[in-house]
Amino acid sequence: MFSSLVDLLRASVERQPHAEAVVSGQERVSYAELWRHVLAVAAFLRRHGFKPGERAALLVENSPEYVIAYYGVLAAGGVVVALNTAAKGRDLLNWLSHCDATWLFAHAQHPEWAAIARHPGPWKLIQIGDAQVPTSSGIRWEEILNGAGATAEAGVATEPGRAAAIIYTSGTTGRPKGVTLSHRNLAANVQSILGYLPIDADARVLNVLPFYYSYGNSVLHTHLAAGGCVVIENSLAYPHRVMERFASEGITGFSGVPSTYALLLSRVRLQDYDLSRLRYLTQAGGGMSPVLMRRLVDALPHVRLFIMYGQTEATARLSYLPSERLGEKLGSAGIAIPGVTIEIRDEHGQPVPAGTVGEIWATGENIMLGYWNDPEATRQVLHDGWLRTGDMASMDDEGYLFIEGRRTDMIKSGAHRIAPKEIEDVISEIDGVAEVAVVGVDDQILGQVIKAVITSRPGTTLDAFAIKAHCLDSLAAYKVPKYIEFVAELPKTASGKVQRFRLTTVPDEKKTR
Amino acid sequence: MSIETTIRDYILQNYMFTTDASKLSNGDSLLKKGIIDSTGILELIGYLREEFGVTVEDVEMIPENLDSVNNLTAFVTRKRQTQ
Repeated sequence: MFSSLVDLLRASVERQPHAEAVVSGQERVSYAELWRHVLAVAAFLRRHGFKPGERAALLVENSPEYVIAYYGVLAAGGVVVALNTAAKGRDLLNWLSHCDATWLFAHAQHPEWAAIARHPGPWKLIQIGDAQVPTSSGIRWEEILNGAGATAEAGVATEPGRAAAIIYTSGTTGRPKGVTLSHRNLAANVQSILGYLPIDADARVLNVLPFYYSYGNSVLHTHLAAGGCVVIENSLAYPHRVMERFASEGITGFSGVPSTYALLLSRVRLQDYDLSRLRYLTQAGGGMSPVLMRRLVDALPHVRLFIMYGQTEATARLSYLPSERLGEKLGSAGIAIPGVTIEIRDEHGQPVPAGTVGEIWATGENIMLGYWNDPEATRQVLHDGWLRTGDMASMDDEGYLFIEGRRTDMIKSGAHRIAPKEIEDVISEIDGVAEVAVVGVDDQILGQVIKAVITSRPGTTLDAFAIKAHCLDSLAAYKVPKYIEFVAELPKTASGKVQRFRLTTVPDEKKTR
Repeated sequence: MSIETTIRDYILQNYMFTTDASKLSNGDSLLKKGIIDSTGILELIGYLREEFGVTVEDVEMIPENLDSVNNLTAFVTRKRQTQ
């Protein structure tokens, strides 16, 4: 067993230095080149006083630079914090300050670059690509890659139990939640996944998932650990182009959330493309409807489909449904992955009999260290090495999970998990808003989209357009409500709690986009 | 209103929630600037059908046709001549 991602990558480099590791557009990076650059980043950081355990953040889209910087920080013994690149300056600055980042690698073409570059943060900024607003530190990415000591491997050392990565799962207001994963967590989950997915040195995955989320993160690391190739495709906006790359790149695997497949099936006929090398698909990130699953299997009968379930707090993956049992166990999220134990427990933490709905608890080497700098939130979910997932499910007598829902109000839209409170807090800042409740409503492609239900203060008039504009100023675009509804009052229980379930209808006339 | 102005106004109002025309240049990449995502493109295609009677075939769903005001204007103009 390897105990860090860096060790896993190094093993791939030694086995096949000349194989392709990452492909992005016209750029093709071999394992040897990748490793050389990773060592250059690690050497640079160390030369500049970076200490093990310090945090270095990335504001970098999926790209070879992302992969190099990520592994470079790990090899230097640091904690890598890959930030959500769809986020706005407010969230980004909040996260950077919450984790006390000392370095920030950022794409200069990022829409928030100017805000970040001008902000007098305590972190040192490394500029990737050309910028209209230069950095005050003046450090350019190219200088690091070409710098002295770039080939020195000395000192690549990672301690398995130490923090390696922080993934923020919410932002903006209140306390950001930074899931903190150790080197062992990351390495263990990768090796568990390689125990059941057909990923080997010949694997070529087309990746459309953001690496800063746990699902994309695991796609990236599993393939590099296996010596496969990650072909980066940053958007599904042009599905025809994406499908053409399956043939031109000889793609063997593809991973998506339900909306990924809904979108592809709505715009292209998969049968029209050369997918002869495609061996498997994975789906995680929420339940996919049996109808959609059936359409996918019918369109690609030669391809194995793996349904999976997990959480960022478990690094990524907790369970998978073996593809050969898909028909028989339709609707199941599968069995625990190798190295993970799952139990269904009641509200007192006691295991319940098969077939009874309870909360999913999980234990294994993939369970996070905790939430960064938040022992109270950590105590709520970690108990004696077990993770309380907050997800409700039953388990049949063969150990197959059937997920019933979540205990939280999180909205699932596409690949995103969105806390309603973040949006409610931003809308509450608007003059004239008395109360607001944000809920998810059903959507054919995305699973859910966001609806805000608002009451106004007496004597004021609110405007949906202005509310959306305010949201877009402060929030990632995917968090801007699609629907805004104005009501006289919010439905509440006798104790004053908003009854969200009564707000989840799709409004007809209020649709503003 | 010209096709270009109509499309610009639609994007400004429905994706950027602004009436400030200076926020969008005609050559800006809608995807790279984060203005439109993969589902936004689907809505844009629905809009082209409703507003201009233009149907976007799957193979026409490419950035050269849809990724900027200029590209959209040229595409709609071309399609209306041939449909």
